[in-house]
Amino acid sequence: MMTSINIVDFLKEEFFISRLEENSKETVLKELLQPLVHAGVINSESLVLETLIKRETLGSTGIGKGIAIPHCRTLAISNLYIVVGISTKGIDYQAIDRKHVHLFFLILAPPNEEESRYLPVLGKIVEIVRNSKIRRSLIKAKDYTSMINIIKKE
Amino acid sequence: MPRSQLELLVLYQDIHLMLQEAEEEKIQFGFSVDGIDELKQAQEELAKNIDDRFLRTYERLKTRYRRAIAPVKNNICLGCFAKLPTSYSTKHHNEQMIFTCEHCGRMLYWIE
Ligand SMILES: [Zn+2]
Repeated sequence: MMTSINIVDFLKEEFFISRLEENSKETVLKELLQPLVHAGVINSESLVLETLIKRETLGSTGIGKGIAIPHCRTLAISNLYIVVGISTKGIDYQAIDRKHVHLFFLILAPPNEEESRYLPVLGKIVEIVRNSKIRRSLIKAKDYTSMINIIKKE
Repeated sequence: MPRSQLELLVLYQDIHLMLQEAEEEKIQFGFSVDGIDELKQAQEELAKNIDDRFLRTYERLKTRYRRAIAPVKNNICLGCFAKLPTSYSTKHHNEQMIFTCEHCGRMLYWIE
């Protein structure tokens, strides 16, 4: 049976960063983690950050065309969370096409996630950003509501 | 970088899962996973910082269970769902100590 995923359910206003300030791969990953740290849903920030960095060793999650989807499973979190971040100036993230990254979807999930939504969610995000029109509008989204409206239209 | 022995083991375990799912991420979603060997090497490097006796316990548990380290929530081992003795409460923990579940033997990681 196919699980139907409504991605909007995972996109919370408190986990949206309209202006990322950092400008390197490691520091932007840390910046993306901050809303989750503040919400108290991360057990160990340094552990999660290191797990994300190890995932980048496997291959850059900067998938090209200004998009990065850093993601990993970690025991240091007990639910699936998505953080969205936008950088107007763009970040050198060592993306596969070497282009600067403007739009980030950080996805974290526990290893033993019961509903097995992690891979479907990852797939859904990849599908959304493959659409060049949506991608371009999302990069320009000024606030949380605009982002949600763009994704809802999809 | 995580400091405690337990956190290093958790990272070690999560890298296993990362390696297991690499192919799927590549085939299903087109992620680049060319760094498999590099990641395996990083995992070996990481293991050098973990005490031998913990690694041995970990490897022994891995032959029995899919995951050797279980999360603990509300004082319940989520590996076997047994309630843990209150003496296991996190306040007795220190950086270099690892608790195991007395029912299933898994190493325990508190996530509350
Ligand atoms: Zn147990």
